[in-house]
Amino acid sequence: MEGIKKTFGSVQAVKNGEFNLKKGEIHSLIGENGAGKSTMMKLLYGMYPFDGGTVTIEGKKYDHISPKTAIEAGIGMVHQEFMLVKELTVLENIILGFEPKKGLTIDFAAARKTVQKYIDQYNMDIQLDKKIAQISVGEAQRVEIIKILTRGANIIILDEPTAVLTPQESRRLFEILNNLREDGKSIVFISHKLNEIMEISDRVSVMRQGTYMGTVNKADTNENELARMMIGRDVFLNIEKKKSDIGETVLQVEDLWTSGEKEISKIRGLSFDVKAGEIVGVAGIDGNGQSELIEAITGLRKVEKGKVILDGKDITNLSVKKIREAGLTHIPEDRNTRGLNRQFSIGDNLIEVTLDKEPFSKNGFLKKDAVKKFAEELIEKFDIRPARAELPTSYLSGGNAQKVVVAREVTLGGKLLVASQPTRGVDIGAIESIRSILQDVKEKGLGVLLVSAELEEIMSLSDRIIVMHNGKITGRLNAEDADEEQLGMLMMSGKEEGGEA
Amino acid sequence: MTFSKIFNASLIYSTFRTATPIIYAALCAAITQQADILNIGTEGIMLFGAFMAVAVSYLTGSWALGVLVAMLGGLCIAMVMAVSHLKFRSDICAIGMGVNMFAVAITKFLLNAWLKQSGTFADPKIIAIPKVHIKAFEKMGFLNDTFNDWTITEWFVILLVIILWFVFYKTVWGLRIRAVGRMAQAAQTAGINVNSMKYQAIAISGLVGGLAGAHLSLGYSAMFVENMTNARGFMGVAAMYFGGAHPIFTALGCLFFGFTDSIGARLQAYGVPSQLVLLMPYVATILVLAISMATKKAMENKRKSSLITAA
Amino acid sequence: MNEKQKAALNILLSMALALGAGAVVVALQGESPVEAYTALVRGAFNGKLKLGTTLAGVTPLLLTSLAFIVAAKAGAFHCGIEGCVFLGGIVAAYIGINWTFLPGPLQIVACFLGAMLVASLWSMIPGVLRIYFNVSEVCCTILMNSVALYITNYLVSGVMSAGTSLPQSADVAVRLTQFMKPSSANTGLFIAIIVTVFIMILVYRTSFGFKLRQIGTNPANAEYAGTDPKKMFISAMMLAGSIGGIAGAIEVLGVHGFFLNNFASGLGTNGMLAALICKNNMFVAPLISFFIAVLKSGAMGMQQATSVPKSLVDTITAVFIIFACMNLIGDIKKKRDITEGRN
Repeated sequence: MEGIKKTFGSVQAVKNGEFNLKKGEIHSLIGENGAGKSTMMKLLYGMYPFDGGTVTIEGKKYDHISPKTAIEAGIGMVHQEFMLVKELTVLENIILGFEPKKGLTIDFAAARKTVQKYIDQYNMDIQLDKKIAQISVGEAQRVEIIKILTRGANIIILDEPTAVLTPQESRRLFEILNNLREDGKSIVFISHKLNEIMEISDRVSVMRQGTYMGTVNKADTNENELARMMIGRDVFLNIEKKKSDIGETVLQVEDLWTSGEKEISKIRGLSFDVKAGEIVGVAGIDGNGQSELIEAITGLRKVEKGKVILDGKDITNLSVKKIREAGLTHIPEDRNTRGLNRQFSIGDNLIEVTLDKEPFSKNGFLKKDAVKKFAEELIEKFDIRPARAELPTSYLSGGNAQKVVVAREVTLGGKLLVASQPTRGVDIGAIESIRSILQDVKEKGLGVLLVSAELEEIMSLSDRIIVMHNGKITGRLNAEDADEEQLGMLMMSGKEEGGEA
Repeated sequence: MTFSKIFNASLIYSTFRTATPIIYAALCAAITQQADILNIGTEGIMLFGAFMAVAVSYLTGSWALGVLVAMLGGLCIAMVMAVSHLKFRSDICAIGMGVNMFAVAITKFLLNAWLKQSGTFADPKIIAIPKVHIKAFEKMGFLNDTFNDWTITEWFVILLVIILWFVFYKTVWGLRIRAVGRMAQAAQTAGINVNSMKYQAIAISGLVGGLAGAHLSLGYSAMFVENMTNARGFMGVAAMYFGGAHPIFTALGCLFFGFTDSIGARLQAYGVPSQLVLLMPYVATILVLAISMATKKAMENKRKSSLITAA
Repeated sequence: MNEKQKAALNILLSMALALGAGAVVVALQGESPVEAYTALVRGAFNGKLKLGTTLAGVTPLLLTSLAFIVAAKAGAFHCGIEGCVFLGGIVAAYIGINWTFLPGPLQIVACFLGAMLVASLWSMIPGVLRIYFNVSEVCCTILMNSVALYITNYLVSGVMSAGTSLPQSADVAVRLTQFMKPSSANTGLFIAIIVTVFIMILVYRTSFGFKLRQIGTNPANAEYAGTDPKKMFISAMMLAGSIGGIAGAIEVLGVHGFFLNNFASGLGTNGMLAALICKNNMFVAPLISFFIAVLKSGAMGMQQATSVPKSLVDTITAVFIIFACMNLIGDIKKKRDITEGRN
């Protein structure tokens, strides 16, 4: 791939992309969020047409690629969000687009045979007749890999495959990848986790702000050099943890039961507390009930049993409005659907929680001037760009959009800040500032409940850590005592605290 | 006994007979629904089909040609929707209502300007879809009452339900269309042309919708009346919701509406005001829809509840 | 070109295409398109009667399009305004005939309040079904229109019948003033304008309106921010219904003076049409309503002056809406990427 260009609207996602892959290697593509690495690979897979440049696959030049031609050229991609239809079975998903036929019908028997061959070859554990909705994330990822193999791929692209896995599951994946390499498959591994890259790759290519920065052999480099290539400067995300005075309990969750989207994300009998002046981190693989827990605490999901007590007041199943009035602030995990109204302006988003209060409205009428003044203050204080209060938030980048959410919630004050995946999908600069804001909030004496899929984030920010698995708490540790290995074990976990299986 | 006069063997046929146009309409909606497109335009496609069938049958004297042209007419209307929705990104509900209004207006206009009629158009020259007369049944009371003298399209609808069930769940096209409807990206990454699949679904839906209209004007009756579909298309859409776009369940939903309609018609003979009889199928549709959706939701809540362990 | 200009151009282009298509059809009929359209315009404006008829025609469309838009702002596709007009009409007729114990002006107010109340309750049904049971409001409201029509038909053929051969009610005791006799233009027009302005302020200048738009654009975010999407959605449906009810009351008290069976046929649909053409823009909808009213009231004139049947006008408006729904202007070339990043 040479001189690749791609623009989305006014954003130039890839300016000058370059990438070359040798047969039988594992080649990592790294860069921070928004550097264009996923976009590069999606262009290669034909998910969108590229605006400029050339792609050569096994000596053949392409100026236009669709997923179909990509598949025919032997390219397969495991997307960050799995491309699996939840309502269909594993087998149906695998054969989709390449269905063996018998007369008018699909020949499921033949399909099963072919697929089983690959499953056996790589010793993977897959249940073909379950629906996708019923299987775990790790298994779904293996389904994706099998799917690609049955389509005859020689080039396999994996987009941040370890983001959803525990360290142990990741190791399992690496074994599979090594086997694939031995069979002569070429692998592109997209990630921003440097330790993994050093473990698995043969060569590493770096992208920064849509531009190709260079390729190095793993043997000739180290993590620090890669970090500098990625970011362009030295970055120390591990901000120094400050101890602040631990105060009264602000949040108490007692024997909480709540519904879940999946069986493993149902919360069944969960208790913990958060005290003023501390950050409690909730670690766990995505989908083990963290989202449901947060929704239950913040009034967005019905509590089926148990109690949530905020600053001495029982807030169980109160309306969101009442819960917020009791002093809860919330940075939700999904800023696009929960955190922001993308069609509303920055100003309107900043006041949407305090809408009914003066000075933003009076006798039911909106006070546009007050809204504008307030918005401009916050835009300046939190460095939101572009700094135009009347601009719809759909024009903002991930980092700036997240800053709008953080600005609104932090300015509210209150007793407890619930922050769920606060730095997901934002650039390094924004990560730094959001993390230091969380520290400030804690120093001001609020309790902070932090949920994050990034172990490194949990470990660098939290005072105490709770580990969740299957909707239950499998471990409680002080941050000083925690190490990644141990957290990983608890996340997969075997063992629930208190003895019960 | 009044009761036995309302509930007798001929009720089975009259239920089926009134349900048939709605079944066709519901199938029309179900096909696009599998591709995640809500076919609000069913009503319009059907009405246009109904008109074309009558007009062609009247002009050529051939019911078969009428049915064929009706299907092509339905296809045309459906393609207007498809192009507008898929190429020019119009809201599907908006364009659906648009083609419905267009169908009402254009059929009225063509009736005025082309056939020089207004309101109702009945003429002996309109050749209806023939009925299938089975001589062997003549002597058998029940079979004769119930199954004899169905029109061809009434028999065909049963076949169509089975064909669509087979297509959706047993064939490659069906698997692909369901993948497109439930997660277009997954289909796209499997090398399937999502847009083309959606066009195909709407086109086939148009053909079925046209057939629905043809059956209504040439099978169910032998005339054209302005706006004769009378919300049957929407009842079809409701039945499609009821059946979750599954052809067999969808058809069962339609039979229920047909049943209330037939009961109503019989009640009229016992002094129930005609307006109340006429509104019965609409109310029944809404009730059934509400109850079925409420049940679905309750089941969903139960599935998600932490207090219950799912199997 | 900014979004607003694009939208305006889109409407104008659609209008031109629709009128053009109409002209072609007229020409195929062997008539002159210019003559037909001139006759149409003359039919809508020439003389007190014609102008008055046009104005009387605009009145309900202003309200029904507004009602549809209010519901749309909250995220509903409310096809049931027509049913609300029917029920509003029958309630206004009932109060107008029977509540003569009230002094005249109060009785009129009672007619309106009654119409609004019943229509809003009627419109609440699909709102509740949608919110609590996830029943498509599109289907539900359309079917409910038929139910409303049959209910009113039943009432005016039975208990409320004036005993005439046509199904209609007795005359109401109070009327809105008709100011352009012999046409039926009446003070209801001003009521409609006041309601329109009131709703504009409500939607864009109050916190209620903010919440309404909030749930219409992103209910999950609204819920998170402390707005109850269920309550707001149902309120919006009820508000839309009550606006439809006002339209019904105006028709009965201002235009007919009694409840005429099936009088609202097409009023809701045409209002919805106006709303869809301008993509639910409250400020443009009155213009579109006016345009449609002109077409409708001029159609008769066209039919009399030429041999073109007046049903052509409905076809033109339908073609207009089909084109207006599409995004004809702008980034057509840019292919839609299904997977375009949402961050």
